[in-house]
Amino acid sequence: MDAAGRTVLVRPDHDLFTRGNQVTASDPVAARADDVWKVYGSGEAEVIALRGVSVTFQRGVFTAIMGPSGSGKSTLMHCLAGLDSVTRGEVHIGETRVTGLGDSGLTKLRRDKVGFIFQQFNLLPTLSAKENILLPLSIAGRKPDDAWFDTVIKTVALQDRLGHRPAQLSGGQQQRVACARALVARPEVIFADEPTGNLDSKSGADVLGFLRDSVKTYGQTIVMVTHDPVAASYADRVIFLADGAVVDELSDPTPDMVLDRMKRLDNPAEVAR
Amino acid sequence: MFRSMLRGLLTHKLRLALSALAVILGTMFMSGAFVAGDTFAQGFTALFSTVNRDIDVEVTAKDTSPGGQNAQLGTPTALLDQQDVDTVQKVDGVAKTTPGVYSAGARLIGSDGKVVGGNGPPQQGIAWQDQDPLIQLRQGRPPQAANEIAINQGLSTDSGFGLGQTANVITLEPPTPYTIVGIFGFPGDRPSLAGETTVAFTLAQAQRVLLNAPGKFTSIDVTAASGVSDDTLRDRIAAALPDDVVRTGAQVAEEQQSATSSFVNILKTGLVVFALIGMFTGAFLIFNTFSMLVAQRTRELALYRSFGASRGQVNRSVLLESVLLGLAASIVGLALGILVGYILNKALQAFIDASLPVSGVVVRAYAVLTTLAVGTAFTVVAALIPALRASRVPPIAAMRDAVTPDKPLTRLTVAGAVILAAGGLLLGLGVAHVGDLPTWLTLGIGAALTFLGVALLAPIISRPLTTAAGKAFAWSVPGRLGARNTGRNPRRTAVTAAALMIGVALATGAGVFAQSAKAGISNAFERDVNAQLAVTTSFSQGPGANAGFPPELEQTMAALPGVSAAVALRTDTVNLNGSDRFVLAGDAQAASTIFNLKPVAGNVRELDPGEVLLDQDTADALRLGVGDRVTMRTARAAPVTLDVVGIFKPNQAISSSLISSADAGGFRSPFAQQGFVQVANDSQVPQVRAELDRLFANNPEVTVNDQSQLIDQANSFVDILLGIVNTLLALTIIVAVLGVVNTLLLSVFERTRELGLIRAVGMSRAQVGRMITVESVLISVFGALLGIVIGVGLGVAIVKALGDEFLSLTVPWGYLLITLALAIVAGAIAAVLPAIRAARLNVLQAIAYE
Repeated sequence: MDAAGRTVLVRPDHDLFTRGNQVTASDPVAARADDVWKVYGSGEAEVIALRGVSVTFQRGVFTAIMGPSGSGKSTLMHCLAGLDSVTRGEVHIGETRVTGLGDSGLTKLRRDKVGFIFQQFNLLPTLSAKENILLPLSIAGRKPDDAWFDTVIKTVALQDRLGHRPAQLSGGQQQRVACARALVARPEVIFADEPTGNLDSKSGADVLGFLRDSVKTYGQTIVMVTHDPVAASYADRVIFLADGAVVDELSDPTPDMVLDRMKRLDNPAEVAR
Repeated sequence: MFRSMLRGLLTHKLRLALSALAVILGTMFMSGAFVAGDTFAQGFTALFSTVNRDIDVEVTAKDTSPGGQNAQLGTPTALLDQQDVDTVQKVDGVAKTTPGVYSAGARLIGSDGKVVGGNGPPQQGIAWQDQDPLIQLRQGRPPQAANEIAINQGLSTDSGFGLGQTANVITLEPPTPYTIVGIFGFPGDRPSLAGETTVAFTLAQAQRVLLNAPGKFTSIDVTAASGVSDDTLRDRIAAALPDDVVRTGAQVAEEQQSATSSFVNILKTGLVVFALIGMFTGAFLIFNTFSMLVAQRTRELALYRSFGASRGQVNRSVLLESVLLGLAASIVGLALGILVGYILNKALQAFIDASLPVSGVVVRAYAVLTTLAVGTAFTVVAALIPALRASRVPPIAAMRDAVTPDKPLTRLTVAGAVILAAGGLLLGLGVAHVGDLPTWLTLGIGAALTFLGVALLAPIISRPLTTAAGKAFAWSVPGRLGARNTGRNPRRTAVTAAALMIGVALATGAGVFAQSAKAGISNAFERDVNAQLAVTTSFSQGPGANAGFPPELEQTMAALPGVSAAVALRTDTVNLNGSDRFVLAGDAQAASTIFNLKPVAGNVRELDPGEVLLDQDTADALRLGVGDRVTMRTARAAPVTLDVVGIFKPNQAISSSLISSADAGGFRSPFAQQGFVQVANDSQVPQVRAELDRLFANNPEVTVNDQSQLIDQANSFVDILLGIVNTLLALTIIVAVLGVVNTLLLSVFERTRELGLIRAVGMSRAQVGRMITVESVLISVFGALLGIVIGVGLGVAIVKALGDEFLSLTVPWGYLLITLALAIVAGAIAAVLPAIRAARLNVLQAIAYE
């Protein structure tokens, strides 16, 4: 427990890790938003969820998007992933311009370039863990890379659970299956939406540690939306959103740093300062 | 509380609309049957009251001929003479007598060489009456010479013959030319009363060619003097003519009406049975819908319970929903049914070639009440179990996630097995004709129990079966997922499939029966008819109907080069030693050769006048043996005594006693109805056939067929019946397919999140559509397979139970394959709407909702 009474997740100090995958200016961009606006409704009922957000996600970096409720963090992620359309501006994933893609283009994008991890796990109850993990590949009609599959499975420690149905797995195990499902296709970007929101702290730490390792060791790009400072501290970089705009950014955060920024966000006077 | 719950009901509009549609279809069909039947009957009522409007009293002779009113062909034999007319005329209170001649045996050959009419309404011949108020001369003049006729407007139009032209008319005489001198119509500017054709001859000619009885009449219509009531006059005339039938015009109309209404009732009952089968199927759909609604609303219902709603209140509110749904759907169904009734009535009239004097539709109170009651009752009964389940939702369910654990299927399976066993036992009893109940009832209840038992067993069968069938789709991801989904909720899959099973089983059963009948017919022909060629006459019935050919042509046929045996058969109902029997007259020697008659006693040989060959059944029934004598009374001649010279075993072709042509003079029809020709050498068949065609060229009612044509004719009759049954079963199948649509829509709704996920991980719209289609096809194939298995069982049971020699048990494999293929198509069609819904799903909303 820390001073605030919060459970501190058990994790190796990330500063001790080598920075082999550290972002340099020449690294290609995995995803990017250029002056993205998202407006719901019109006239009186108009709600501006995003106001001109421009943000770049470098390849091989674990980015957390934080912000208070209603700040637009989920909307930004949905727009980045092509799940939602933008009102103005452009979104790119890798070389692909997401803005303006039709359904089949978006389907292809999700198949080849994007992976998802959800708060609710979202596994198919009729499929075994292994089948769930391989689902994106089989939908795309791609052969899994056996060596990579084994690596992923070993990393998430699901070797003994592959034949189980989701109902027979704990929440943490289910989320690890979901992580493995996102990773096994080696997408350009994995979008994780509150991945630890439904997990106890131990399971959450496992999942976050696994996500970070996949970035460090395999160069995976991950964009995670969260409101948990501890979860955010696993990321290489934290972007803060408030009122639909990027208001702050942190590199190599610790939970206390994140918590501190969040407190300031909740107090507009300090933000203005 | 009810109001707020009803709001809950209305939020599930689409699913309710689908189950309502099932009720609507059923009630529509049912009320359509009622309305069509009643309107049709009303048409006949109007017709007969018109026909008898101007008759106060009608006198006819009592028909004492063998078979009497039931004899379906020949010439009227119950006749009156001038002396009767005079007697009636002298009765006090009689203003006028009109003796009439009527027979349904005047067929005019149209300009296309074919006989006009004959598909339903009679082809009647009458004697022209100058002051008949019913008949209105429109053109020309009444017939005055033997070779002159007047015809009704409708007949003139249909035949293409007008005033002054000459047309051939078949009566008791072969086709004979007559000059059309008059054309008449009926009150209300009608060209016919109801689509019938009428040829009016001079009185003398009518008596000769329609009755073969100069000076005789078929009826005397009496007009009462003013101040004398019909009933009084009837009683007075009856006293003067105690041996005749004397009725008022109203009585006649009523009797004619009741004869048709029994036909209309059979028709109505048949249609209603199919409507009920459709509703029975719909009950499965309603059951499923309500179960699903209750399951989805567990939280809501628990909330009511936690607010203090009692079990009874929850139970009642769900039932009230079903009452409202059932009633609303029944009202819509009734409204549509009235429209269907209107169309169906027109179709019926077109089918029998009639145009009855009725406009609009007749909607009786019982039709409205029965339809609403049955529609509502089916809905409520189907909703009973879901309502009970709703009342069992504990209040605590409001606080926690709705978990629907997979309840074990043991109880269901045991119950299903017991019910199925009972059904099977009843079917067995029915087949063996054991027990006091009539066979059809035993089989019917057995079939219903079998359906129910299998429906209860279906959940436990569904998983392995759909898994096995799912292997067929395992090569694609959507296929595999679809197959898995089918096995996911075995009860729901089973109920949905069971609904389809009913229609498929009945269609399959009918198919087995039809195929067995066709096989039986073919076998009978091949075994018992050794003739390459047959002469048949068109089917006609009614007093006076007498299509046929002169029996003397038997010798002519036999004498044709290449012919080894020929027989011309005359048929009639006669009276043998006090018992009405159907007998045949013709060359017994030839008949024996052609039909393989096997003697049981005496000889089967050529008959001299005064001799008879009895079939064994008749001989046994009348306790007659070879050497005995039997008295035969015919319709038109004095009784004769016949010597029994032989007894033969009846077969499929000949199952009636045979007499010599010389003794058939008293038969109603002077004609032979059927001829069979055996050709010695097959190569000569075309040549003989050409000769026969030439022989019957002048008579369009006589056709020459070879054996395969004959079999085809008999089979086409079976096919038509099967077609009608299957058309009527289409209603049931449509309802079942609606059920599949309903179940899938619900699955799509329940699995919104899952569908969102698989879209998010890269599944395309088309793939999602395919996944739903696989699910739908698997449910349909499951239902069809169950139906086919049960249907074959039912068909076999019915064929065995009837045990008729005309049925040779045959399973129509091709028909079964087509049924299965249709089920796949139906499944694919049922998937369209749910698949579109699933594919249109907004991915973001599907996965983002909390």
